[in-house]
Amino acid sequence: MWKIYASSSLAWLLFVSLLNAQGGAPINGGRAATAQPAQAGVSAPANGVFESNSFLEMANRVFDPSSDSMDFENGSFSWKGKTFNIAEQRAFRSRLERFLLAFPIKEEEQYAQLMSEIMDGLSVSNNNTDDDILDVWQLLFRASDFEIDGGNSTIIANQVFNAWRIRKESRGVQLSHRDLEDIRKYQQDIVANRARMLKLIEGRKAENSDSESADALAISGIPTEESFRVSDLVETEAKLKALEGQVAATGLQAKLQFQSQIVSFLMQRRFEHALVLSGFYQVLFKGSHQTLEVGKSQLQEFLPGSDLTFTVDSMSFIAREAINDVKKGVETVNTAYSERRTMLALERLQEVFFLGEYSTALNNIPAEQRRHLLDLYRNLIEAGDLLEMKDYTSISSLADEISKLADDFPKTRVLSGVETAKSMSDMAVFAASQFRNVGQIEKAREELRQAIDIWPSNPAIREFQMETTKLATAGSQGVNVFDDLYERNDRRAIFERRMELGFALAEDEERRPLLMGIVEEVGRIDLLVKQSEELMKQGEAYAAWELLNEASKINGTDGPMNQARAELAPRVSDFVLQVDRADRQSEDGHHAAALAAYMAAQDIYPASRICREGIAREASALIAGLSASE
Amino acid sequence: MSRDLNQPPKLLIRRLFIYFLITSGVFFTGCSKSPFADLEPLPVNDYLKKPGNFLGNTYLLSAQIDSQIEWEEGVGRILAVETEGSTSRLPVFVPDSSGQNLNVGQRYKMQVSIRKGGLIYVEDLRKF
Repeated sequence: MWKIYASSSLAWLLFVSLLNAQGGAPINGGRAATAQPAQAGVSAPANGVFESNSFLEMANRVFDPSSDSMDFENGSFSWKGKTFNIAEQRAFRSRLERFLLAFPIKEEEQYAQLMSEIMDGLSVSNNNTDDDILDVWQLLFRASDFEIDGGNSTIIANQVFNAWRIRKESRGVQLSHRDLEDIRKYQQDIVANRARMLKLIEGRKAENSDSESADALAISGIPTEESFRVSDLVETEAKLKALEGQVAATGLQAKLQFQSQIVSFLMQRRFEHALVLSGFYQVLFKGSHQTLEVGKSQLQEFLPGSDLTFTVDSMSFIAREAINDVKKGVETVNTAYSERRTMLALERLQEVFFLGEYSTALNNIPAEQRRHLLDLYRNLIEAGDLLEMKDYTSISSLADEISKLADDFPKTRVLSGVETAKSMSDMAVFAASQFRNVGQIEKAREELRQAIDIWPSNPAIREFQMETTKLATAGSQGVNVFDDLYERNDRRAIFERRMELGFALAEDEERRPLLMGIVEEVGRIDLLVKQSEELMKQGEAYAAWELLNEASKINGTDGPMNQARAELAPRVSDFVLQVDRADRQSEDGHHAAALAAYMAAQDIYPASRICREGIAREASALIAGLSASE
Repeated sequence: MSRDLNQPPKLLIRRLFIYFLITSGVFFTGCSKSPFADLEPLPVNDYLKKPGNFLGNTYLLSAQIDSQIEWEEGVGRILAVETEGSTSRLPVFVPDSSGQNLNVGQRYKMQVSIRKGGLIYVEDLRKF
């Protein structure tokens, strides 16, 4: 028996290791393939297109508290190459939450102890007598009193009782069988003796040669005693066969019921009950009856790709391995939690919970720890829901909450992803505004669609829409407004109304280039004014004035530029005086005087570009004039 | 008596010494007189304000050469000079005919005339 067990266990281990080496059950294949892009994190915009899906995948992974071994899409849970039916995610979630809300109670400890006693009582190593087995059987009724048992121990007890009853009936049948065999033997003797006697009589009659009497016998046609005796024998043979068939059918039925219940317990993850029932099976049935006759298709689904012969031993091995795994899993959860690896603890807890949902080992997870993990679990689920809605603002605040609950939560990665997504959406809105302002409506629409796709609740989108509505209203009068302002050379006013005018003049081939030119020109002036303001802050008044001077050459009538010049003038009056004098002299053709004034100005601000260029220009002009007069 | 005999040579020597001092003083004073001593110095600040007011005048300009701005062979050069008594630099034109090597950092006394367009034309110059 031990040899069989050892060899089947080794074969199973080999099978499991082969499965693992090949990447586990096929159901995991798809999962592994999809997990890869999720680690890519947030991608940079490629060709102006934000790959928001990368962030969503990353965030989905971060906020998904489920373990890799759980596949809610296919409704399966994979454990060491075995696939369980996980049912609907919502149902699983509610069961897990119920567990996390429950307190470990003393009754459960008592039940765990009782089940342990039952399993020990059935251990082959105990060399149990029939009385011992009966005692164990009685313990099943005590176990079924516990709520956590779910009445499964009664099912086992009934199965065992049924097998015993069948065995008892079988004993009665064996008695009948023995009587019939005696009758058959008696009948066989009669038939055989009759045949021998008839042969002897016929021999004597042939010697006396009395033909008349012989004819009379042959003609009579009345059944002989021999034929009656043969008929009795056939009847007895038929009864015997029927009895044998009845015994075989009854025994087989009991065996099949046992086997299907073991498979059923295993599928339901009632590993302790599966182990108890296997123990009873091994006691009640012969060693040659260990091969499973039922549940083959279910086992094929349970152990995909396996072509092994399933036995009761292999079922009890799986059950025992699962029980041990649950115990180790609970230890892992507790260790991870005590080391403040809360995310890890939650992930492992789900695996352990699903595998050992009906196992007593789960009681070793303390109530306080369960509550903490429940809070984390709920927050992660909520974050996942928010992520689906792309509500990044709420996600950021929830990420803060989650990071307080779990030190190992990758908050920075999430926040960074959120910020990137927000920026990308803002950039798309900005691009949409730019395209709209220059009249490229189709492109503007495309950018806006992208902005909405990345971050639907982006406040900038609302602003954009309001602005566009306003522009569309004003756009109808755009041509007249532009013509009027252009005639008055009020370039600044055109610039300030560039959006609505751009909208209105989108299709106007004549006015649109003029508008673009003015926008560019005033934009450059604004840039120079801004730069001069910066230089002023650094105390570089002369340099600031030079920039404003450059701006004045673009458009000397620009209001903001002139205002800036007027504000700056008192601080650079000495320099401005000399430069103005130089300009005037230069205009009058007095190059020497202009040169002298530029040099005087350069003495005030040696780095002056105006002076450097003015000196070079005036000196050249002067020497050219002298050369001509020579 | 002997004292009277010794007095005439001493008196003679003293009188000769005084005579020598007077004659040498007169001589050196006459010899060290500036070549442009008769010229007025250029009123730099006034010139900068309104160069047209000084057209046709001749002045003395004491200055140090700051840099050479422009030069054309056969015509001359435009120099930037730092004037004495003023913080401003001035542009001066030195014609090629002056025939002097003019180096940056050297100081000159210049006889300048103000010409058309306010040009400060160097007529003559001496190092000092």
